[in-house]
Amino acid sequence: MNQGSLLQRLIARPEAGPFVLLLVEIIVFGSLNPDFLSPENIGNTLAFTVELGLIALAMTLLMTSGEFDLSVGSVFGFAPVLMWTLFNGGIVPLNVAFVAALAMAAVIGLVNGWFVTRLKITSFLVTLGMLLVVRGTALFITQGFPQRTWSAGGHALTSILVGEFRVGRMRLYMSLFWFIAAALALGYVLTGTKVGNWIQASGGNAGAARARGVNVDRTKVSLFVLSAVMSAFAGIISSIRTSAANPNSGTGYELEVIAMVVIGGTALTGGRGTVIGTVLGIFILRAMRNGIILVGVPGLAYNIFIGAIILGMMALHASLERRHHAGT
Amino acid sequence: MAGELIRMEHIHKFYGRVHALDDVNFVVREREIVGLLGDNGAGKSTLIKVLSGAVPISSGAIYVHGRKVDIRRTSDAIAQGIETIYQDSALVPQLSIARNLFLGREPLRAPHFLNRMDQAAMDEVARRLLRQVGITKDIPPSIPVSALSGGERQAVAIARAMYFDSELIILDEPTNNLGVAETQGVLRFVRAARDSGHSCIFIAHNIHHVFQVVDRIVVMRHGKIVADDIDPRHTTIEAVEQVITGMSDAELGTAAP
Ligand SMILES: Nc1ncnc2c1ncn2[C@@H]1O[C@H](COP(=O)(O)OP(=O)(O)O)[C@@H](O)[C@H]1O
Ligand SMILES: [Mg+2]
Repeated sequence: MNQGSLLQRLIARPEAGPFVLLLVEIIVFGSLNPDFLSPENIGNTLAFTVELGLIALAMTLLMTSGEFDLSVGSVFGFAPVLMWTLFNGGIVPLNVAFVAALAMAAVIGLVNGWFVTRLKITSFLVTLGMLLVVRGTALFITQGFPQRTWSAGGHALTSILVGEFRVGRMRLYMSLFWFIAAALALGYVLTGTKVGNWIQASGGNAGAARARGVNVDRTKVSLFVLSAVMSAFAGIISSIRTSAANPNSGTGYELEVIAMVVIGGTALTGGRGTVIGTVLGIFILRAMRNGIILVGVPGLAYNIFIGAIILGMMALHASLERRHHAGT
Repeated sequence: MAGELIRMEHIHKFYGRVHALDDVNFVVREREIVGLLGDNGAGKSTLIKVLSGAVPISSGAIYVHGRKVDIRRTSDAIAQGIETIYQDSALVPQLSIARNLFLGREPLRAPHFLNRMDQAAMDEVARRLLRQVGITKDIPPSIPVSALSGGERQAVAIARAMYFDSELIILDEPTNNLGVAETQGVLRFVRAARDSGHSCIFIAHNIHHVFQVVDRIVVMRHGKIVADDIDPRHTTIEAVEQVITGMSDAELGTAAP
């Protein structure tokens, strides 16, 4: 394989556009405000980035299978509320409350998957309904008030999930490793395994996949469960890090997460997905939000840039797709 | 005479009030290409949909190698060695040729709990199969099916049926919308399949294509089989056209009672 064709193949990959965009962001923001690349800023930005990122990784697999999940933000808010309510009420120890919150999320995912695959209702409507039910439940059981979380200080679980540590002047959290591990594992599953092949086939042509004996419904249900459990996991990490379990937290995250996934090159219509692309998409959006503020653009203008990025990337992915179909 | 592969007896199919199959008796022998002809609406597609599990029969019985079988879903038919190749729809466009070939039967590498596909083995088999079905162009097995032409996609589907030992390969109008060279390609794949021991049911609008490739012609009209043993080597296209339209009284190879 010669250099030229290797370069051409890299450029033709769906991740090439997002990669260049991220580089441009880093160069532009970095040169306009040196603080952008300071260890303090990178550490601070990473903390929340990986929490959203965990959800986006799971969403990538779900979207590749041809579905998506609008209830992730509400589960992100609900799971920590449930965990702290159980723990603060003296009902169960913290570890048990943690497992119970994840199990509850798994049930939410199962219900989503069951409605979509058995009742054949589109995931848009099912997960929108679930968003309202879950958010409503979180508000109801807390009467709208945040839950206390500080009583967990020094607990082993909190240090395993989001223990703080320093690399030079950079403050980092253990959640970074959870994100890296999840990205590696899910990237491997999607590209290298039989399960990954089934996920892509379920989203690409469910009828053909079923005819070959692929269990499309079970594949999709499992991914709804994964999406909900990851959202709960991210929400719990976030609540421990910020010492707050607010029943309203996570509002609007679903759209930000879906934007991260599609910017990275995963098809909204299913069949094609990339975990590497999603990791790039996660950093593109978070670097944009952080950079805009640092260079003095009013934060209210953030959505203009995000919208422009989504449109630009969609145009790029669509044109790559057309070339793909033309076989060039 | 070769043994019997498929026997369909007294098949009826109603779509509401439409009697799409009216007491159809139909046989496919081993290693034979059967051409199924008939005007639009004669019931050809319905007959093969019944056989491939796409629609349920209203009444009647289906036998494979003399054993009665129950075909309710596409996967039931595939399990019986009956593979239907529709244009496009049997493949996943986003997946590579190799991954389409092995979809649902992916070989794994040890240790198996890692669920890792043996990509090298899949690519190797795919390369060999593509040559076997007569694709001479050097197509890498790693490219997605969406980049293939219509004829090449059917070649991939036929290759898959051959590799997993489908005994019967059904092609419903495979040459529609194909160019001349691609049509010849598909006809070549069909012959290659028969030569390696498979049977085929071949439906085509263009009688010339049917004449080029089949061993026996079966004609349907208004949901009934009106001729089931026409030898294309001993008749003319004009004579068969008359049977199809019902203009011929002395029908060739009339269905046995
Ligand atoms: N899904 C369906 N619902 C109702 N009628 C149908 C359906 N499919 C086919 N038919 C009718 O059954 C008859 C046979 O159709 P078909 O098997 O498609 O014929 P052919 O393939 O020979 O053109 C026609 O009258 C057609 O209108
Ligand atoms: Mg037809």
